[in-house]
Amino acid sequence: MSDPTTLTTDHAVQVASATPPAPRRPRRLSDRGLAVAFISPALLLLLGMSVFPLLWALYLSFTDYSATRGGQAHFIWFENYTAILTSAQVHLRALTTLIYVVGAVTLQTVLGFAIAYLISRRTHGRGLLTTLFLVPMMLSPVVVGLFWRFMFDAQFGVINSMLGSLGLGQVEWLTQQRTALMSLIVVDTWQWTPFIMLIALAGLTAVPKYLYEAASIDRASEWFRFRTITLPLVWPLLLIAVLFRAIEAFRLFDLVYILTSGGPGVSTETLSFHVYKVAFLGFNTGTASAYGILMVLVVMVLTQLYLRYLNKLKED
Amino acid sequence: MRYPKPVGRLSVPGGKVQLATAAILVATTVAACGGGDTQASAPKAPATIPELTKDPLTLSFIWFDWPPAHALEAFANAEYAKERPNVTIKVNTVPNANWHDAMFTQFAAHRTDFDIPILDSQHIGEAVTNGNILDITDFVKKNIDVKAYNPYLLAAYGQFPQAETGKRDENASMYGLPLLGDTWTMIYRKDLIGDKPPQTWDQMISVAEKCQADHPGVSGLAFHQANGSDAAAVTYNTVNGIYGGNLWDSKTRKIDGVLNDTAGHEAMDVLVNKMKPLTAKGSGNWFIDEVNAAVAQGKACIAFNWIAASGGLLDPKQSTLGTTREQILDKLGFATLPSQKTNLVPLGGMGMHVSAYSSKANQAEALNFMKWFEQADIQKKWAAAGGVPARTDALQSPEFLNAGPFNQVYADSVPRMRDMWNVPEYARLVDIENTNVNAALNGAKKPKDALDDIAKEQQSVLDSGSRKGGGGL
Repeated sequence: MSDPTTLTTDHAVQVASATPPAPRRPRRLSDRGLAVAFISPALLLLLGMSVFPLLWALYLSFTDYSATRGGQAHFIWFENYTAILTSAQVHLRALTTLIYVVGAVTLQTVLGFAIAYLISRRTHGRGLLTTLFLVPMMLSPVVVGLFWRFMFDAQFGVINSMLGSLGLGQVEWLTQQRTALMSLIVVDTWQWTPFIMLIALAGLTAVPKYLYEAASIDRASEWFRFRTITLPLVWPLLLIAVLFRAIEAFRLFDLVYILTSGGPGVSTETLSFHVYKVAFLGFNTGTASAYGILMVLVVMVLTQLYLRYLNKLKED
Repeated sequence: MRYPKPVGRLSVPGGKVQLATAAILVATTVAACGGGDTQASAPKAPATIPELTKDPLTLSFIWFDWPPAHALEAFANAEYAKERPNVTIKVNTVPNANWHDAMFTQFAAHRTDFDIPILDSQHIGEAVTNGNILDITDFVKKNIDVKAYNPYLLAAYGQFPQAETGKRDENASMYGLPLLGDTWTMIYRKDLIGDKPPQTWDQMISVAEKCQADHPGVSGLAFHQANGSDAAAVTYNTVNGIYGGNLWDSKTRKIDGVLNDTAGHEAMDVLVNKMKPLTAKGSGNWFIDEVNAAVAQGKACIAFNWIAASGGLLDPKQSTLGTTREQILDKLGFATLPSQKTNLVPLGGMGMHVSAYSSKANQAEALNFMKWFEQADIQKKWAAAGGVPARTDALQSPEFLNAGPFNQVYADSVPRMRDMWNVPEYARLVDIENTNVNAALNGAKKPKDALDDIAKEQQSVLDSGSRKGGGGL
């Protein structure tokens, strides 16, 4: 009696030996060579579109180059940096940007978390509500700016119309120093609160239910549960959302351009808007490059400090 | 069985990667540096128009988005095609606020998607100094009847260095020809203040004040106050001229002490303390469209706007003042600006120029178009199509004077015009003035401080030639 296993094995050997060997890969296309070939396009794109412009801007920041005047770029070393750091004009824009970032991000965080907390407590219609709240975030900032400009119009705007029907006076939302920056914060908050809400909602959903159940058994109050379970677990995620929003708000340009053009006067000119003016009104490319590099440095340093705090929080 | 080797760092030697990266960076740097043409003077156009192509060709303009831009495209395609059927005219438009940037960023790249940039007169200095547009002096001498124009109009839209107000230097180089003349018109409500327009600026303010008091809901005045483009700056410059002030001393390049002299301060005081209180609440960011909207909705007794942008006021579809053009004209009057210490009015409008970076065939076509456009009969047709011509014969023709109720205003205003600074630093000068005047109009700065700041900052821009670093701040 023959061993079926052996037969099968023999058959398999026969089939295997009948199959022609795989063509040998050319020596040059090793696994690593193939890997290089695959990543090269992305690497080249990254070098050409990100790394080179950054290095080029860094080089220009040490020169007096102007894109329209042409001619040789003369090295002036740190003169552009010194001029920017000592300029009262820049200090003014930095203060405006700081007020804007702190105001907008704080408002968005409080509102975003509050909305997320309320939505997380619902069992029905949570998906629909979340989708509806996300709509502003999906709109183009230019579109948002334009329709808010109409809404803020002192003469024909819907906001003043509503105030009027309540017996309140007209407010010059975009043309008064006190209200113009506040209006920008309101519009940015309207558009980007959903982003914070989304991240906070993800955090809230991830909180294990058994913690709440245990707290309920211990007859813990709602506030106690929020303070000792919800907030500590969502806080790190919320801080990451705050980081993203702060970086975005720091480089605000579009809303300022559409809503106030930096006015009245220069009272809503942010750093990004000022860089734009330096770069394109007088085409002072060297100064604008230094200005941009300094902005990147500020963001990088602050982000590093912030991330260290986040890591410390995680370790604790 | 063959297992993939653990992939850590690629086996490609690190030195080679670094070398390749460095080579790419150096190559890109060299390419970027090599693109810059160090020549910074305008190249010359030929005196005679070169042979034109018979192949299909698109002649592109760039302008900002407003009614004259659309009128030009329709007019040129209808009329120029009769002479050059293979040519299509395309007028590319951008928002007003991006107009300067859209043109000069392309100039900076030394490659333009337009053949004829339509420049504000004040942009000429920047474009000439950077070598962005052709020197057409020889072409003008050979092909254009310069005597057919008011000398200042011809100079304002083409000459560099800038001509003295009201004059033309026949020895100066020419870089453009007039495309569209313009100035401010005073628009007044005949049904509210009477048929006769105020003759002096002070009288105009009194009339507006009374009109506002007599007609609740209607503001006495409407004018440009925005801090974008040249809106608030033109408003102040107009009042400055009327009250006898000067923007600068062009010979000594002095602004500080000239702009903010007694006349300058008086003008700022009139603008902020007498005129601004007569405007609608929240009008601190109004420009052309907003002023037109206020007039069309019957919300202003007296308004000031550019003539070339006033055509829509007579459109019953856009107005609440009447259901026909005649009904609207029963209520709206158009007049030259009132005078006070002088009778100066702002020079508006634009000239056409030839991009130094267009192909030879397109440059030749552009020169041919300019020659065609400046003919007497074509200028009259342009007037009839809604344009504002620059030739004196066209300005005095019935085709122009009957085309709109404000055209007589333009014809009467031509000898009264004054321009701003036509220097390479224009964009920065106007931004300084715009933001400061806008700040004064909206209460963010005291009028005196605003004017002194303008003078000081503008002077610093003019004097910054030898400064190292921080240019543009």
